[in-house]
Amino acid sequence: MLLLGGLFYWGMQRPNPNELKSVLVGKPAPSFSLPLLEPYRARYGPEMGVKEGLGKPVLLNIWASWCIPCRTEAPLLERFHRQYQDQVLILGVNVQDRESEALKFVRQYGLTFPSVYDGRGRIGIEYGYYGVPETFVIDRNGTVLARHAGELSEAQLQGYLRQVLQ
Amino acid sequence: MRGSRWLVLVLGLWLWAISLAQPTPNTPPPDFSPRVFEIARELRCPVCQGESAAESNAGIAVEMRRIIAEQLAQGRSEAEIRQFFVERYGDWILYEPPARGLTLWVWLSPLLGLGLLGYGLWRYLARTRARAQTAMAEVSEEEIARLEAELSRKP
Repeated sequence: MLLLGGLFYWGMQRPNPNELKSVLVGKPAPSFSLPLLEPYRARYGPEMGVKEGLGKPVLLNIWASWCIPCRTEAPLLERFHRQYQDQVLILGVNVQDRESEALKFVRQYGLTFPSVYDGRGRIGIEYGYYGVPETFVIDRNGTVLARHAGELSEAQLQGYLRQVLQ
Repeated sequence: MRGSRWLVLVLGLWLWAISLAQPTPNTPPPDFSPRVFEIARELRCPVCQGESAAESNAGIAVEMRRIIAEQLAQGRSEAEIRQFFVERYGDWILYEPPARGLTLWVWLSPLLGLGLLGYGLWRYLARTRARAQTAMAEVSEEEIARLEAELSRKP
């Protein structure tokens, strides 16, 4: 009985499943370079990704146009991008999606932070993602600090930003 | 009588033909080799609840199967492919996590439970046996004599 109670208590104490620990935390973020969605090519060039020499922390946000929580998250990310774009790179990875749908989404929410297109979601698997939306927090040296599965709240995003800008 | 036997035979044949016409469940779609599905069956589909990467049609599971097929074509072994996913997702992705650390206790707990149960049962049996024996020893001599006298008087 005591054992069961203990197990229950331990289960309740476990961290929020949204903050599922990634195997990648503390390790270098897998580098990649993927074609940017068309609206961003003029400013950022044909391809973008996580690689050496970015010199900035990265918030890698994996999204899809069919994902409902992504729709509430997108305006928040856009707001933070406008405010902090000199200090942190918010990079979207559009996965498991049709490019035309992704473009429609970008236009609908007027997203100015760049997004690359990964139709099959291979980079997502490279990062060990569970679903969309999911955000990886990568520091200036390219080390993964955290993974956030699910929608980000403003407070959470602010927290990650603080962590990464320290 | 003869007619009904024929009917049974025809009905039986018909059912047999139907069973042949049904595709056997869980056979892989023709796009990947069965080996891909054998490996995928041991891997969890990350977005689904309780489905393996072999059964799910979620985009991520389809992509996992594609990765398995590609790596098989590159000549990688099953263990290497499993390792590829463990490196990205942790042991969580395996349906049968390796027996070490906390998982080792999960593996051992049924044995431990059985052992405890066996020990409890043994203690209980030993105690009841001991009680039966002391009960027998406690019967006094004269009581036994009285009982025997009673028994011999009966017939």
